[in-house]
Amino acid sequence: MAPRKAGERDMLESFYSVIALVFILVACVELCDAATVVDVYRLIQYDISGVPFGSRLAALNHHAGSLQFAPGADLSRTVVIIPVRELNMSFVKEYIVQRQPLGGLLFLLPQMFNFDNRDGMGIYHQNHGKELLRNVMVELEQLLIHANIPYPVYFAFEDSDIDAVLADINKNDAIGQPATATTGGFKLVVSAPEPKKLALPTITNIQGWLPGLKSDGDASQLPTIAIVASYDTFGAAPALSVGSDSNGSGIVALLEIARLFSLLYSNPKTRGRYNLLFGLTSGGPYNYNGTQKWLRSLDQRLRESIDYAICLNSIGSWDNELWIHVSKPPENAYIKQIFEGFSNVAEELGFKVGLKHKKINISNPRVAWEHEQFSRLRVTAATLSELFTAPELMERTGGFVDSRHFVNETAIIRSIKLVAESLARHVYGHQGKNIQIFSDKSSLAVNPSYIQLWLDLLSRTPRVAPFLSKNDPLVMALKKELEDHTAEVNVQHELLDGMFTFYDLTKARLNIYQVASVTFDLLLLLVLGSYLIVLFSFLVITTRGLDELFSLFRRPPSRKVKTA
Amino acid sequence: MTLFHFFNCAILTFGPHAVYYSATPLSEYDTLGTSVKAALVYLGTALVKLVCLATFLKVSENDSFDPYQELLKALIGFIDVAGLYFALTQLTHRNISQNHKFQAVGLGWAFADSVLHRLAPLWVGARGLEFTWDYILQGIEANANLVLSISLAALGSLIWLRKNKPKTLIPIIYACAAIVATMPSITSYLRRSLGWHLPKVVGFELFTSLVMALISWQLFAACQRPSS
Repeated sequence: MAPRKAGERDMLESFYSVIALVFILVACVELCDAATVVDVYRLIQYDISGVPFGSRLAALNHHAGSLQFAPGADLSRTVVIIPVRELNMSFVKEYIVQRQPLGGLLFLLPQMFNFDNRDGMGIYHQNHGKELLRNVMVELEQLLIHANIPYPVYFAFEDSDIDAVLADINKNDAIGQPATATTGGFKLVVSAPEPKKLALPTITNIQGWLPGLKSDGDASQLPTIAIVASYDTFGAAPALSVGSDSNGSGIVALLEIARLFSLLYSNPKTRGRYNLLFGLTSGGPYNYNGTQKWLRSLDQRLRESIDYAICLNSIGSWDNELWIHVSKPPENAYIKQIFEGFSNVAEELGFKVGLKHKKINISNPRVAWEHEQFSRLRVTAATLSELFTAPELMERTGGFVDSRHFVNETAIIRSIKLVAESLARHVYGHQGKNIQIFSDKSSLAVNPSYIQLWLDLLSRTPRVAPFLSKNDPLVMALKKELEDHTAEVNVQHELLDGMFTFYDLTKARLNIYQVASVTFDLLLLLVLGSYLIVLFSFLVITTRGLDELFSLFRRPPSRKVKTA
Repeated sequence: MTLFHFFNCAILTFGPHAVYYSATPLSEYDTLGTSVKAALVYLGTALVKLVCLATFLKVSENDSFDPYQELLKALIGFIDVAGLYFALTQLTHRNISQNHKFQAVGLGWAFADSVLHRLAPLWVGARGLEFTWDYILQGIEANANLVLSISLAALGSLIWLRKNKPKTLIPIIYACAAIVATMPSITSYLRRSLGWHLPKVVGFELFTSLVMALISWQLFAACQRPSS
């Protein structure tokens, strides 16, 4: 009976271990969830004259970490996930400027910058926090654009999945276990090929022509007024650079002005004695490269017939002051005339227009304002903008901060009224008279829903020129819209000047895997091994008796032991 | 690392069968042939079951629990019993005691089941990067299934092979056999109708299989006594 008793005890023990195992398993079950897939947007990668900038890698396969890592920890095999809300600028600066090794960076942007999802808008109406966040993001974007980062950098939007992952990682890191291959955690995987150079990036200019009324002579004798806006953007994440204000607002204003004047010009009685030239130019962030090429390609006679050009740039988020930037001295008669026309209308509309003069330096390749390209060809031009100072290269070009939430439609409407009214007074010779042609109640009123629709569309469409194909739907849509409002539309494809080289892969899918560590598997192996040994002993004892078990060990090890 | 995990899961899924074979007298009497025959019978039974399922069962779009369909499924599940009957009684085996015969048949049966149902998902899934507890649970389920198969084989051998069993135990034996044979339907009911999650289901399976094994062991021992 003795072996039998021992067998029962053994059986009870194995029962306990089985029960314990079951409990452990049940307790650990919350840990398991399936692989999460997130849309991520890559930091731009480009060269300026061969000098590399941006993120130089696309493929990612590292463990995830949070900002709460232990000081001095080796992060060269860790992807640090940083929610921009709690961005620690000093950390980013330390790592990016001093070029410390990292496995990768994943920035989590607040949902309000997501142009795909506008449901969550209402939550973020605390204006102060919004402005603060925006400033931080502008700083971050500039930092990232101007750095050469040897690891992949991605942006993603906060959502419940990724927040849960981040909370887990935070919890792990707070305990003080750095996430490496031996402690498990989450693995972030982006499988992407090596980024390739974009061969010959093209830029596309769209030009609309609204001829004035010929009196007796040739139409080309008529003076021309040009209204120009650059439509492309540049930002840290090309797939997120929608540029609602810079320069979505300018495009919308241009389209609406074209619509209003097409109404006027469709009737011979109200057709002005000026030709109107509308230009949607590309390459704006790259020193207005597209504008330059467009102007050079224009017919010499046409170019000389341009009385003046108004460039529209960032006119969507101002309160009561707009600026007219010129490069000729304010004493110049033409400039004076333009400025007086605008400021009179502005006064009637109830806001102020300031004049800002900035000389151009021909030897400096930097072109801060679009009108400077006109001025370089001795065409009188001015830029209407809400910005007081000239932006630096790649600043205010519609990065991911420039979202729809920061654009004020009424500001655009007021800008449109200002430009349209002053143009009309110039065209019909009503300078200094207080008549409203585009008053709200007439058939020539500015149409707010038209503006809203176009603004919404542009705020959803990334427009970084090298990534737009020649027949991009957006280009086609802009062309069609101008065709509706003007008599003749030309589309011009040009090569972007050689200084810039861009690399592809702007979007990717990030797989988040929960991985078990090697130690877990080792432990599991240990548990399984002891389980099998216990099972073996238990079976031997119950079927053959305890003595048999001992005799197994006394004999030289036979095949049976090995199989166990 | 993930291959390591696959290896672990494979040990958990198939190890106990090997251990059972080598630890018990089955290996001494060289009953491998019987096990292999049982496994072949299992294959045939699985084929017949598949054909029956394909013929009589509707494909349900949603994962809901349809009592009629489940009943049909349970009935088809009893084909297993027929297969086991065939393996236990109809096959000619070398001189082998009843005691070892049912163990060998149950072992072969369970091993074939594990290979057929668990090897492919294990190979595909457990080598992936994502870690889940599913494959470990699946391995534990294989263990429970081994215990259940052997219990069922033991009860089957009591019913069909042993002639002089105590009269009072016969209804208990039949009841136990019925319970063990309907276990797959019961777990399917728990999973689909009550919405139990895998760990809970596996725990239940493990628990019931051990209880049933204990009961059938006692029954077997009780039947052994008068003859000895």
